[in-house]
Amino acid sequence: MKTYLLASLTVFLACCYVGNAFAADSDAGEMEMLVFPESYTAGSVSGGGTISGVVTFEGDVPEMKKLEITKDQAVCDATEKYDESVVVGEGNALKNTIVYLIDISKGKDFDKAAKLEIDQKGCQFNPHVQIVPVGVRITMLNNDKVNHNVHIFSSVNTPVNKQQTKNRRRMPLKAVKKAEGPVSVKCDIHGWMSAWIAYVPHPYFAVTNEKGEFTLEDVPAGTYKLGYWHEACGTNSGSPASVTVETGSTATQNFTLKLK
Amino acid sequence: MRNRNVVSLLMLVLGMLCVLMLAHAQNAPEASEKGKEVYENSCAHCHGVEGRGDGSAAENLLPKPRDFTRGLYKIRSTESGQLPTDQDLFDIITEGMPGSSMPPWDTALSADDRWEVVAYIKTFYDGFKESETPPRAISLEDKIPYAEESVEIGKGLYVDLGCVECHGNVGRGDGTSAPTLTDEWGFQTWPANLAQGWNYRGGADTEDIFKRFIGGIAGSPMPAFEGDSFLHFGLTAEESKRLSELENKDEMTEAEEEESGKFYEKMDAAVDIALNRAEGMELSAAEQQTYDNAMKVVYEKSWHLANYVKSLTPEKRPESAIGNNVLRSQYVQGALPPMDDAAWETLQSGYFPVVGQVVIEPRQFNPTIDSVNVKSFYNDTEVAFLFTWDDRTQTIGDETDETTGKTLEDALAIQFPVKVPQGPTAPKPYFLWGGRLPVYLWHWKASAPEQVTELTAKGINNAEAQEAQGELQTQSIYKDGQYKLWVKRALKTDDKKDLQLEPGVFVPIAFSAWDGANGDVDTKRVMSSWYAFVLEPVPSSKRFIYPPLIAILSVGFLFGLRAFVQRRNSEEV
Repeated sequence: MKTYLLASLTVFLACCYVGNAFAADSDAGEMEMLVFPESYTAGSVSGGGTISGVVTFEGDVPEMKKLEITKDQAVCDATEKYDESVVVGEGNALKNTIVYLIDISKGKDFDKAAKLEIDQKGCQFNPHVQIVPVGVRITMLNNDKVNHNVHIFSSVNTPVNKQQTKNRRRMPLKAVKKAEGPVSVKCDIHGWMSAWIAYVPHPYFAVTNEKGEFTLEDVPAGTYKLGYWHEACGTNSGSPASVTVETGSTATQNFTLKLK
Repeated sequence: MRNRNVVSLLMLVLGMLCVLMLAHAQNAPEASEKGKEVYENSCAHCHGVEGRGDGSAAENLLPKPRDFTRGLYKIRSTESGQLPTDQDLFDIITEGMPGSSMPPWDTALSADDRWEVVAYIKTFYDGFKESETPPRAISLEDKIPYAEESVEIGKGLYVDLGCVECHGNVGRGDGTSAPTLTDEWGFQTWPANLAQGWNYRGGADTEDIFKRFIGGIAGSPMPAFEGDSFLHFGLTAEESKRLSELENKDEMTEAEEEESGKFYEKMDAAVDIALNRAEGMELSAAEQQTYDNAMKVVYEKSWHLANYVKSLTPEKRPESAIGNNVLRSQYVQGALPPMDDAAWETLQSGYFPVVGQVVIEPRQFNPTIDSVNVKSFYNDTEVAFLFTWDDRTQTIGDETDETTGKTLEDALAIQFPVKVPQGPTAPKPYFLWGGRLPVYLWHWKASAPEQVTELTAKGINNAEAQEAQGELQTQSIYKDGQYKLWVKRALKTDDKKDLQLEPGVFVPIAFSAWDGANGDVDTKRVMSSWYAFVLEPVPSSKRFIYPPLIAILSVGFLFGLRAFVQRRNSEEV
């Protein structure tokens, strides 16, 4: 009898394994996304350290394309606007790169006081890349006196497509339930408007500033995989950097990115 | 011992069954073999075997066949972000989607088969299995009946809510954002021409319009105007009106700032409640009341808007041309009316539907022009035509096709035979711009809007401008997504290659149109087949002379006969 049971169990497990392998395969070909831990427990962190660094761009810096403003010129074309998919500053500093911990399962909680907003001033999203915690509402601002429509191309969560009429200064959006992203944010009325939102399950995410700098604070001591994502340069999800954080000290990790 | 063997055998069988079921779940669960079979026979060519909208025919289609794996369905009776009901899916399969490649399946598939397909389509998206509660339906209670007053309120909302951005001033889908729209999958998409209700994908009943508006059209740029994204959500109609006044001021006084601030607080509170509800939180009785009150205003306004949209389209698709497919030119005495003359309003348009040219490469599988409408007057020496057709974009030849490098522009061509066929059974030239029998064409292009060129053609790729030009007078205008073209010519000309016209003779007429923004150029265009055109003969003025004359003569004759008979009778006596 034992043999029968064992045999059936083996077949059962084998099928599960094969099935999972197929499932994993079908996801791998998707767009380059962030990698999230299976679960995350938030609590207080004592004796943590810091990870910081600079992201720089390598190769011929592409010229920032001037956006063609096809309507509402009085508001949208008041200042010159440029495509922000690759923003390179002094010393080849690369702005708008997400740097994050891939495999953290326990650490600090989100900063509850942080203002989560994307402005649409002058028909351009600001910031261009926004981190949004799962379960938290983000507010869209519109002081343009023109109509916008906020179109968020989620596929894990329900996509958002909401008109923000010209007099609606603040429009909070429903919080999402699942980690996802980054997902594209567009305004169908002004086709050139483009931004990205990453819905994240833990607070160890940073977006590089004009100087290409990022900082992840209060990281519990340990060794982590450090990942990045950039709209035009892709991710290092396949071979993330390994960083060891020691109590009270700062670990440095720089990245050099090329166009995909 | 024997019993134990039976038990273990049973367990083995159960174990294997478990394994089978799991393996089964990995390969997209099947609602039923029947549904799969029907789907693969009837739907997969466009929607793909795996439901990804990538069937073998998908490449040439726009709008693209729906990708079922995202759970995004355009035509729903449910709120924004909700899945469709099974009935929604069944209805769309049954009725098809006008203006797209999705045909109605009411005759090709039995109702049972259609239900099987519904069950099967749902297996492409796990959300159907995972959702624990049925999708929330859009309430159609408290419908505001169609009335001029309601239409007027709706018209204001059409502008305030920004419908105008894509659908344009009078709804012809020509808004300033129209040319840059893409759908969830990145494919170009055009806003609906609201003046053509027969092409609304989900039907043109006021209820249909209301549902599209409240629920949005998932996967397309059409947003959902549900609850909290609505103008002044949480305010009463009066409060909203007052706030609009304040908001439209260039600068507010301190008192006004304070007043508007209070409105914003009220709005924020209501929005908060709506978001709580959307996130699945239980509402308190008071919150529910606030929400219901806010939604009541939203729904009221939405009915007004639906009534306005309804007012933009005729009830039905017009019948093809006037009376038995014949365009009848009306006789007038004196000068023919110019393009802007009110006299044109007195005529009914002949409606000539056009379809993509798919006979000769390059073809047009995704036409954007629905039809050409025509009116005509003539007098003793001349004939005038007024052609109108809807085109969402004005392309005047300053753009080029990316692949061919050819100049793109809007255009219209009117086709006649050179020689009118004698009698109804005589052959007409081939409708694709002639062949053995040549055709005579009037070719108008948006880059030279005050000019119509006369062509002679012996095939779609074999057209030549006539040597003698300038016989045609032309006026044209593009406004609010519609072209108007006015052409006048003498009934008779000296050119042997021209068509000669005389009253009462039926002349074949056909149309070609190009929408430059849709990539139309050369043979890639929309066309009609042959229709008939006639200068409606004027009933002769002699009808006022001969019939009375005959009547008088008849009566006179009868009296004469009577007198004659009477006299003969008296003589006999």
